[in-house]
Parts: sequence; structure tokens; C-alpha cells
Amino acid sequence: MISVRNLHKSFGPHEILKGISNHVDEKEVVVVIGPSGSGKSTFLRCLNGLETVTSGEIEIAGMNLTSPRTNIHQLRQHVGMVFQQLKLFKHLTILENITIGPRKVKKVAPAEANEVARELLAKVGLVGKETSYPDQLSGGQQQRVAIARALAMRPNVMLFDEPTSALDPEMVGEVLQVMKNLAIEGMTMMVVTHEMGFAREVGHRVIFMDDGFIVEEGDPKAIFANPQMDRTKSFLAKIL
Amino acid sequence: MDTVWQNLPVILTGLGLTIEYSIVAIVLMVVIGLIAALMRLSKVAPLRWIATAYVEIFRSTPLLVQLFFIVLGLPAILPVNEWFGQLTYPILAAAFTLSLNEGAYVTEIIRAGILGVDRGQTEAAESIGMTGIQTMRYIVLPQAFKRMIPPLVNQAAQTIKDTSLLAPVGVAELVYQGEIVISATFASFTIWGFVAILYFIIIFSVSKCASYLERRLQVDKR
Repeated sequence: MISVRNLHKSFGPHEILKGISNHVDEKEVVVVIGPSGSGKSTFLRCLNGLETVTSGEIEIAGMNLTSPRTNIHQLRQHVGMVFQQLKLFKHLTILENITIGPRKVKKVAPAEANEVARELLAKVGLVGKETSYPDQLSGGQQQRVAIARALAMRPNVMLFDEPTSALDPEMVGEVLQVMKNLAIEGMTMMVVTHEMGFAREVGHRVIFMDDGFIVEEGDPKAIFANPQMDRTKSFLAKIL
Repeated sequence: MDTVWQNLPVILTGLGLTIEYSIVAIVLMVVIGLIAALMRLSKVAPLRWIATAYVEIFRSTPLLVQLFFIVLGLPAILPVNEWFGQLTYPILAAAFTLSLNEGAYVTEIIRAGILGVDRGQTEAAESIGMTGIQTMRYIVLPQAFKRMIPPLVNQAAQTIKDTSLLAPVGVAELVYQGEIVISATFASFTIWGFVAILYFIIIFSVSKCASYLERRLQVDKR
């Protein structure tokens, strides 16, 4: 589902990603961990073209992202993304936030888009919030809407960029629960997070990144219990 | 007061033209301003240069000089009167010059409004597959528009006042007609006072309507 070969990304003179290669299978849930500045968010943002790669190849959802002939807008319809910051469209109601993508990008009829949106709201536990505006919702509720907004495009892959980092502690659980349900349904997911409990419970594989490299990867339980590399050990010692 | 009543028809024809020129200029200045603002924010460098040059030229020279130059100066070197007609050219040129001048200020208002929308909104729109145009149209401009209303209303008021500068190039608007009445009656205190009151009524009602509209938008939409 995702295939990355020798990905490099530089911002000016700073090389953030120094050669990343990885492969994610369909229905696999991969959790990316690592200290801040390790390049994990940049890595994720490269996967739907929000950052243009410096060199390397990315194939995702059956499309070659790094080929100049690929229509990036079309590709993004198949790759859902949830951000750390709350980024719902402030001028639209919750229902409109979810339907605007299908309606304007995929030209789905409004009635059908609304129906799908209501189903998704039920899925993320927010029935009754259709006509509210984003600033009337809590941070946790907004992130659940953001997940529904991404799902409304019927993506093949979902990318999560620290979706709970900006939330108050008591709201983290509700968002993680929605993500967990999604994983159980078989969504292919790549999740950058500091929630080690989620990584252990839901992740099929953990990738530990540091300084622009993938340092270590493997089964979450094995990595947490018995990390092989020194850098992984010292990171986990600080965070667990 | 008698002087005013006796000359009311003359003054009211002037008022009519003032209102017509104002409406045309306000509509055109928004259209021009939107196009130029999008050009200034474009990734294509030549578009940015053209729009920047336009804004700087029109902001850095007096409107009156622009009007003299385009309405009276251009016919001296180009056969514009033949192209548009001897009578039509001054009318078109005056309206167009005024619109271009006000459009330069509107460009900056719209540009600032667009830049004021959180970058995250654009990223979120792109992440669901929207193109640049769709993002602008459905996400950025609706949010920018709300914050642009107060400065745009200001600019509209300015535009209505600036139509008075059309008198020197021969447009028979309110000021022009006022001068005609004064030259016949010598009642300059009364007539200029009345002209000022008419301007006040138009502009005051425009800004009252606008603030009502603004309050409505605040309630309905965020």
C-alpha cells in the first residue's frame, strides 16, 4: 500500500530525511515514534505530497507520488490525513466540513454526501453536532470530525500526524478509540504519535526514527520490551 | 433655501451621475482588486510583477493627475475618440480610471484578507484533494471575505467621495452641477452646504447598511 525507496528531504541546507526506505502492507497499522526533530512528521507529510521530496521514490495507494505525471490532487483523495493542529474549516458547519470534499472534489450529489457524512458522524460518536461550528466543539470532538472529514473521501490509507498532541489529556482517549476502531475495520494506517499505549495495543509494527533515519523497527511488544539499538533504548527510557 | 429648491433638478441630475459612477466604480474596483490580489499571490513571477507595478503606480500618483492624464492626455496621442466615440470616451475613461485607482487599494485589502486566513486551512483543504482554485474558492475566500468587509466599506465610502474629482475632467456629477448653480446664483454657502449634506446622506446610509450586513454575517456564519 505504501512503498518508500531512499527518500531524502532537505529544507535549504538542512537535511531532515536522510534516506528512508519502508514498505507498508494493506491493512497494516504502523506507528512512527521518535524524538521531536527526528523527521517523523516530515516523513508523513511527504507521503501525501504536502512536502515535495528532494529525492527518492514513493508509491502510495497504487500511484507513484514522485512521478511528475501523477495528479497530486487525485492522489490525495486516496490518502486521508489528520493533523496535529485543529484544522477544521472554521466557516463551515460540522456536516459541511465533512461533505465539502466529496461534493466539490468528487462531485457527489449533496443528498448522498450528507447521508455518508451522517454515517461517519455516527461512527465517530458525534450524532447531533451536524449544524454546530468547529469552535463550538471541544478539541477531541474536532479531531474526531477531522477523521470523519478524511474518511468521507473514502481513502485507501490514513495518515495521522500526532493527532492527540494538541489535546487536553482527558480528550486523548476518545480520539484514540476512534482510531482503534478504524484499525480493527482494516484501514491501512500510519500514525505518528507519542501515545505508547496505542502503539503497543493497536500497532502491528513500530518504526523508531531519529535524526532523519529509521533506527529500528519491528513488533511493538518486542521493541518496547527489548530494544536493540542504544538510541531506541535511551528514547524509550525517557518516554515510558 | 429657495435657491436650493429652484435649482433642485440641476443638482439632482448631478446626484444621479454621482451615484451611477459610484456603483460602477465600486463593482469594478472589487473585480479588479480580486484579480490583482490573486496575481500578487500567484506562483508565476511575471503576474506578480504586473500586479505590483499596477498597485504601486496607482497608489503613488494623485487620482486627479491620473484622470487628467487618461481622460484628457491620452486623446492627444492616440485616436481613442475615434475608437470609442467623441462623447463616449471621456465617460468610459473617467469611470475606468476611477475604478483602477480604487482597485489598487482594494488589491491590498483583499491580499491582506487572504494572507490573514490560517495556513492550516489551506493545508487541510489540500489534504482532501482540493486544487488551488477550489481551496481559494471554497475555503480561503469565504473566510477572508468576512474580515475584508470593514475595510472594503471604508474604500467604498472613499470611492463615492472620489467621484467628486471627476468634475474637473467634465463629468457633470454633483460637484460639477453645484458649480454651475453657483455661477448663476452666487449662493456658494448654501449650495456647497447642500452638496455636502447629499454626500453625507449617501455615504452614511451605505455604511449603516454595511454594518447591518456585517452583523448578520457574524450571526449566520463564522
